[in-house]
Amino acid sequence: MIDQTELIKYFLLESEEYINTLIEGLEDLENKGFSQETLESIYRAIHTLKGSASIVKFNKIATLAHKLEDLFDSIINNEIQQDISIINIARRVVNSIITLINEVSTYNEEKSELDSNLVNLIDEIVEKKVILQIEEAQDTYVSLPMTNAVRVELSVIDSLFDILSEIIVQKNVINDREKELKYLVEEILKSGKKLFSEIVSFSDRYWLSPLSDKTKVIDTFFTDFSDLEFDRYDEYHIFTRKIAEITNDINESLNELISFSEHLSANFKTLGREINTLKDNLLSIRMLPIGRLLNKISEAIKDTANNLGKQINFEIKGGDIKIDKPVLDLLYEPIIHILRNAIDHGIETPEQRLAIGKPEKGNIKLNVKKEGKYVVISITDDGKGIDIEKVKEIAINKNLLSQEQILYMNNEEILSYIFVPGFSTSEDVDFQSGRGMGLNIVKTAIAKLKGTIEVFSEIRKQTTFTIKIPQSLSITNLLIFKSSELEFAVPINYIEEILIIDDFPEVKSERLINHKNRFIPVKIFSELYFSSNGKQSEKGYIIIFNFSGIRKALLVDNILGQEEAAIYPLGKFLEGLTQYIGYVLSGQGTPRLVIDPLKIFEEEFIFTISKPLTLESVPYTGTVLIVDDSISVRKSLQTLLETKNIRVYTAKNGAEALSILEDKNVDIVITDLEMPVMHGYELINKLRKDIRFKDLTIIVLTSRGTRKHQEKAIDLGADGFLIKPFDEKTITELLRNFPILKNQIY
Amino acid sequence: MSEEIREEKHFCVFGIGEREFLIPKESVIQILDITKIFPIPGSPDYIVGALPVRGKIVPAIDLAKVYNIERINYSENKLLVLDVEGEKIGILSDITPFFVSFDKDIVVDDYLDPKKLYEKLKIKQPSSSKTNEILS
Repeated sequence: MIDQTELIKYFLLESEEYINTLIEGLEDLENKGFSQETLESIYRAIHTLKGSASIVKFNKIATLAHKLEDLFDSIINNEIQQDISIINIARRVVNSIITLINEVSTYNEEKSELDSNLVNLIDEIVEKKVILQIEEAQDTYVSLPMTNAVRVELSVIDSLFDILSEIIVQKNVINDREKELKYLVEEILKSGKKLFSEIVSFSDRYWLSPLSDKTKVIDTFFTDFSDLEFDRYDEYHIFTRKIAEITNDINESLNELISFSEHLSANFKTLGREINTLKDNLLSIRMLPIGRLLNKISEAIKDTANNLGKQINFEIKGGDIKIDKPVLDLLYEPIIHILRNAIDHGIETPEQRLAIGKPEKGNIKLNVKKEGKYVVISITDDGKGIDIEKVKEIAINKNLLSQEQILYMNNEEILSYIFVPGFSTSEDVDFQSGRGMGLNIVKTAIAKLKGTIEVFSEIRKQTTFTIKIPQSLSITNLLIFKSSELEFAVPINYIEEILIIDDFPEVKSERLINHKNRFIPVKIFSELYFSSNGKQSEKGYIIIFNFSGIRKALLVDNILGQEEAAIYPLGKFLEGLTQYIGYVLSGQGTPRLVIDPLKIFEEEFIFTISKPLTLESVPYTGTVLIVDDSISVRKSLQTLLETKNIRVYTAKNGAEALSILEDKNVDIVITDLEMPVMHGYELINKLRKDIRFKDLTIIVLTSRGTRKHQEKAIDLGADGFLIKPFDEKTITELLRNFPILKNQIY
Repeated sequence: MSEEIREEKHFCVFGIGEREFLIPKESVIQILDITKIFPIPGSPDYIVGALPVRGKIVPAIDLAKVYNIERINYSENKLLVLDVEGEKIGILSDITPFFVSFDKDIVVDDYLDPKKLYEKLKIKQPSSSKTNEILS
């Protein structure tokens, strides 16, 4: 089914350990007596050995281990006497197993025949519960094959990784320094050349000029000669010549410096390559072939199929591809979940299949491929497929989507709603249609592995789930971007595309782009993280994320590039900042916070669940009047509230506010305190005196956060307090306190 | 904040504005000159940012924001790095911190218990459980 040689290697490694445990255990039984503890450790070792042997289909080893397991089971349960001759029988079995393991090590298969006498002997003992035959003592064991391997705890490798991460940081520092060096050398060379040509041209010119009257030679070298013996030079002649010579020397040294710096760069490059190789090799130490997992899975799903009365062919390709051990462990659940769904809800019964002209047995294919640093696992079944109409129906019934929204979505996007929390639960989903229970659990598990999952389906024909995960969790590929002079990073796994803002001039006002016939909602990073007041840089990039088919976009100021780095957690003190996954350090040691793209759009996801965001003419959930003399405050608060389906009016001062309130229905007034014409205190005072506005909710918005100001405002009749600068979270939380808008916002 | 001191005898004194605080000497790991602090957007205002120290970051806390202390000048800005149960946190000090010793049973005003301070200022996970459930 899958490449066995790799698995045999692991079997040999494992079996060595179990055999050693067995031998030690048997010695202990003989020397220290039959303790329950020893018996159990022997039992465990045999049991696991049996399991590993049957996975790689070494049936003789498995049978022997099975018999030994039965024997020790009886001993542990006190069914047979704890006698020394049992140890001898056990030794005989162990020797037979070692012989077989040696054969496996040499020929990759079991050669010798199963010792049926031994098997029968054990069967008899277990059955009759008496030891009939006194077994002769066997003192020596057959020696195990040399495996030439050591077992290392994962944590040891992890600590090596930590060191390596530091080395990579240092390497990045050196790379940056090297660039500086190159730049410096180039600058010096440029200046050196300039100096040389200046001097040469000057001395040439001066050489030809007539000597001045005050010709005087001061250099002792020349004073030894009489005037007639030597051309006459003045001080400048000598000076320029000397300078020219020195400059020439400098230039030569500079040329050497250049070749030195080039050699150094080459050395750094080699060093960098070696470090990368080291990293890859270290990574591969923790990697195990995915086939180890798939064998376990294939046993489990055959049981599922039998229980459900379905017949399947399960085909695995690419089982030899290796994955980081921790990733491998976490993959078991999601994969088995998808496979069970496929058998349960995808594959039809044999009768149904024959009736519609499909082969009796359903086919499930699991294909593992490597794509760069990612592993792509696709699981395809040729069953019923997913009925897109049913998906629409459920999404509408459960208020995940509205009729209007569906009109704007393609099938791929609609299908991706099967992953949305709340789409399906085990109790109430119609299994005939929208397939599957708890697919969001699968998605969450994959997201933990920094992976993605997508689904593709053709009704009545097939369904394919595609999981894409990084081969290793230790080092992540990140996109580095800049906002408000700070550097951030985001894992690239969800990033589908990066666009330039110039192509979407309306993005800032519309918060939506139409790209490849898809409407993608856009969030502006600087607003979310800095509550910036519209002072954005001219540059801008739109990062498109693809969350299992649901696309969201984020506008950032500048993109600095891509980097591989180890993400460190923020630590317990800061762990409440869930918008960050952790941080990485740049080559210069600058921390870059790694943002969690899921968190940025989290609110929208929840929004989608309780109340879909529709494109046109939604009834407003409330009306807010913003009173502030600063246009940027008005604008940013307005946009923020409007995304929450709130109708917004704005006024520059208290007087304007009053005139708006005269003819508009307003639920909440958010007002600044210091404003020209009519300030906030006066406005609150006026409103509270007016019987019509007695119950109007008034929130004070101010940069003056002291208790004194708060108390004065509350005395006058304000209901709440909002301190500038504000962020989306505080506003949402504040508004939640006021019943008028409460239910609508969340 | 006044508290009975039993075990600790040695303290580190640091200052914010006009006020001085004491913290047990054992919890102070190092005192750093502040070169550059990197802001952490979204954190409460008493966390002024993070300072990279030996490849790890240490959050820098301004107690002036916690205790509402008015600042006159920022002349001497130092970061007092504390170890609280294996975790490093930094506290801004307007003076260069120094060490003092007291008798065992003296009652010290303005004594800060690092553990309590840590628990008080630690950023809690967002309370809306629904959010976590969906996207955890």
